[in-house]
Amino acid sequence: MSASETAGAGINWMVKKGPGYPLVLSCRARLARNLEGLPFPSAADEEDLERARGMVLEAVSRRVAGEKEWDIKFAEEVSRDELELMAEEHLTSPAFGEKTSGRALAVRWRDSRSVVVNEEDHVRIQSILPGAQFMKAWKIADKIDSQLESEVQYCFDQKLGYLTSCPSNVGTGLRVSGMLHLPALSITGEIARTIAALGQAGIYVRGLYGEGSGVAGNLFQIANRKTLGNTEEGIVSHIEMITRQVVDKERTARKMMLRESPLELADRVFRALGIIERARRIGFYEALELLSLVKLGVETEIIPIKDFSMMEIVVGICPYHIRGILGGEAEDEDVDAERAPGLRRLLGL
Amino acid sequence: MFWMNIFCDECKKNIATVFLTKISGNEVSRVQLCEECEKRMEETTEAANLIAFLPHIISGMQGMDEQIVDDVLSSELITCEFCGTSFNDFQKIGFLGCSQCFEAFGEALENVIQDFQEAGEHLGKMPRKISETAMLRKKLLELERHLERQIAEEEYESAAAVRDQIREIETRIETEGKERER
Repeated sequence: MSASETAGAGINWMVKKGPGYPLVLSCRARLARNLEGLPFPSAADEEDLERARGMVLEAVSRRVAGEKEWDIKFAEEVSRDELELMAEEHLTSPAFGEKTSGRALAVRWRDSRSVVVNEEDHVRIQSILPGAQFMKAWKIADKIDSQLESEVQYCFDQKLGYLTSCPSNVGTGLRVSGMLHLPALSITGEIARTIAALGQAGIYVRGLYGEGSGVAGNLFQIANRKTLGNTEEGIVSHIEMITRQVVDKERTARKMMLRESPLELADRVFRALGIIERARRIGFYEALELLSLVKLGVETEIIPIKDFSMMEIVVGICPYHIRGILGGEAEDEDVDAERAPGLRRLLGL
Repeated sequence: MFWMNIFCDECKKNIATVFLTKISGNEVSRVQLCEECEKRMEETTEAANLIAFLPHIISGMQGMDEQIVDDVLSSELITCEFCGTSFNDFQKIGFLGCSQCFEAFGEALENVIQDFQEAGEHLGKMPRKISETAMLRKKLLELERHLERQIAEEEYESAAAVRDQIREIETRIETEGKERER
């Protein structure tokens, strides 16, 4: 597939409304593994990286990709634009494209399952699903893991479990996360207390693109901090329970806003809609913020427009997705100018 | 309740168009910026992210007595023989070089893991090959106890059968070990 063909090919998890409970836009399970006998990617030379890549991709071809729907890409052979597109669609982390040599990605676009080779660890297995299907996402990743494990020998220690490049992943190597849209908690300021409480419960809160990214558009990613000392099922159940509690808090905050300051809320969401309807250029972060308010307005039945899939639009207005529409060497200003009508189109305005 | 100031928190001149919620640890703050200031801040964030990792390591050292701090400091010089990564390298970049580093860095690394994970033992999935061996070892232990009992009770005939079972399991463990080495 070429860059333009792959753009949007892996976004099923964004378009579909997943089962589970509302306000959870998507969920993800990720397993980190390394191969025995080879240095981890950060300390490996070109030859070792090449060997690790060969071993993982062979295992993927033999055990996982039998159905031929899998696409295997060497990072060096992928264009800069396509690397950025894949990061915008959360198939790889933003760090994946920073250093390409020896890295690879095996992906099944249809349902966003992937194996990333030689990023922070030799193997990163990931499954993204729409809605709050945490257990299913983990089971998909776990199955791929078992298939690979029948071909390769992983670094494993009876006491510490699976050994990973960063100590924050040792043990199960499992990180389960949910993408939550929490505008009411943000606006009422309640989010500060929620995040503090989540920290106490062993939960990380991050922005749209995970580690190190700021929060924009009131989109919060929550994930388990600890990977050691609990079973995989235990980690998944904990995230499920916490997510449900956060969603309940958001609903309560929405009800409170509707009850105590309906005019302010209506004013705010309609102003956001007004800007989207009239803007001639719009930056990514401003667009996210406005989109979040409009979504809040639609869900509280204040704004009478058709409901929409938040993540599909968030990804659709990302810089490289807009660049894809414009083609060629578009300047930042051109991207901002295209985003304004692009956003209206996506919202059906 | 909300929706008051429209100006950029940084320059206080331009109208803010970017609204960010920042999380550091459990602290949350909300900033609104104009496009210009936002771009400038984005450039400095990358460096800040690198620095953000350091407190994890340092907090691992807080509250230890002097002897342990000395041990940790001298452990900076330890180097993993397999991959050449030193504990000092690990502290700088945050990544271990290979699976042997876990043994080479010993207690200093154990403290870091304890700090991150607040738990010591893996309870999750095991590679199938390893778990098979682990199960065989468990069975072996049971049989050995059984054999001791039978000898104590002078049931030599059935003890001989148990002894044969033990030998068989020992051979299987040995073969699987060799297979794994290969």
